[in-house]
Amino acid sequence: MTADEVPAYAEGTGLAHATWARALRDGVLLGQECSDCEHVLGTPKSVCPACSGRSLVTVRLPTSGEVFSETTIEVTPEGLDDRYQVAVVDLGPTRLLARVADEVEIGDPVVFDGFVQYEDLPGPRFVAEPTG
Amino acid sequence: MARASIVGAGMTKFGTHADETLAELFAEAALPALDDAGAGPDEVDALYFGNTSAAISENDTHLGPKAASQIGLAGVPTQRFEDACATSATATKHAVAAIEAGLHDVVLVGGAERCTPASGLDTDEMTRVFASAASRHYEQPVGLTFPGVFALLTKRHMHEYGTTREQLAEVAVKNHHHGSLNPRAQHGMEITHEDVFDGPLIADPFHLYDCCPFSDGASAILLVSEDAADSYDSTPVDINGIGHASGGVPLSEQSAFTATRAARDAAAEAYAQADIDAGEVDFAEVHDCFTGAEILATEALGLFEDGEGGPAVADGRTALGGEVPVNPSGGLKAKGHPIGATGTAQLVELTEQLRGDAGDRQVEAPTTGAAHNLGGEAATTVVTVVEARP
Ligand SMILES: [Zn+2]
Repeated sequence: MTADEVPAYAEGTGLAHATWARALRDGVLLGQECSDCEHVLGTPKSVCPACSGRSLVTVRLPTSGEVFSETTIEVTPEGLDDRYQVAVVDLGPTRLLARVADEVEIGDPVVFDGFVQYEDLPGPRFVAEPTG
Repeated sequence: MARASIVGAGMTKFGTHADETLAELFAEAALPALDDAGAGPDEVDALYFGNTSAAISENDTHLGPKAASQIGLAGVPTQRFEDACATSATATKHAVAAIEAGLHDVVLVGGAERCTPASGLDTDEMTRVFASAASRHYEQPVGLTFPGVFALLTKRHMHEYGTTREQLAEVAVKNHHHGSLNPRAQHGMEITHEDVFDGPLIADPFHLYDCCPFSDGASAILLVSEDAADSYDSTPVDINGIGHASGGVPLSEQSAFTATRAARDAAAEAYAQADIDAGEVDFAEVHDCFTGAEILATEALGLFEDGEGGPAVADGRTALGGEVPVNPSGGLKAKGHPIGATGTAQLVELTEQLRGDAGDRQVEAPTTGAAHNLGGEAATTVVTVVEARP
């Protein structure tokens, strides 16, 4: 998780959803780190929820983590597949909701693997970490 | 000192109301609430009206004046509230504050909602409408649904505390039993653990009977100041505390996760206003949109220690006849959940219970009841303490 590996178009502070989404489509998982208290966010905000600081620097999030909770959704909204699994992934400094491609359970290691899409909006996708 | 008093309470049967307009549906709850108090429309100073989804599902907005005009209140100030499933509890909060501040003396508060396939949208379409309360940009694209929200919370609770599927099923069995004693419940039938386990999966660990139904319905209460309450026909009950808090969105970033911090903050605030502690709550109506949500709610309200909510329901401690009956109405699970009507419907149940008018589902001689109404991904919670007069 560092600030110097973010795409040029996302460098600095003031990450907006449009840029977060563009990076996600480019295969880059962006977040924010507070300059004042080091709190990390996986989804962009204007103000740090931990210290109310406004200097939130755009960073790359870790791309591997552990399943914190998960469920397989069987009754799905209009326009989505019939059945899929979602998980809250613990990335260490923050947690992030993601679609997961494999049957995973709480505690399983997962890695970032691109994005899914619904109504033209991208969401992160993770897969089980390959073993061996 | 009561913050405000309930002098009238009314609600429709929850279920399917496909052939009425929303305003007509509201009238079926509002007029009984007025009649309960012996109050005419000319005595009402304001309408605080709740509806969540009609803007999306029925192309119907600006509902306050429409509802007011239907029941002879055209001319009074009115506004429509939307806070997901906590809609009419937040309407109540603001009505109580208006009475306290002297802005209005007599306020009608309620909600009306239609969610059943018969009254509009198919299940996948209504699932999309419900999911609109999740983060549009960070949760909807992943495909999170409302059963999914509470499935994530519940599976983590199961992981941390050993809460079991049997304990979840017991919530459904208990609330269906309570609902079988409530003539206004959408689901009046008893069910077994096997019915729960054999039902189709919605979002694991939830099967069909772990989930509240899609419902149509309306509810209303008439609020006045404590001093004015004695001049009405009914037995008044007092709102002595309302706490209201929000939790962070998206859900994944809520620090406490299974603790549902907003519910704990709202409960602490409501108890402090009423000058009670959790041990003085005789019974509660809680937001059991899913079986796991009831277990989280009983812990957040302080009725049980963290991790004890599951064993408590399995041991019958939250059933009618137990030490602290939870959802004697049948809850959202069996009574039904017409979203914007749920908050005030909980207060209708508290009113009837505290008056001793709840019939076969009467809690034994209660003096203090709590309502827990939650919206979105535990991102809004309102806790209300209602007490009988000494
Ligand atoms: Zn900070």
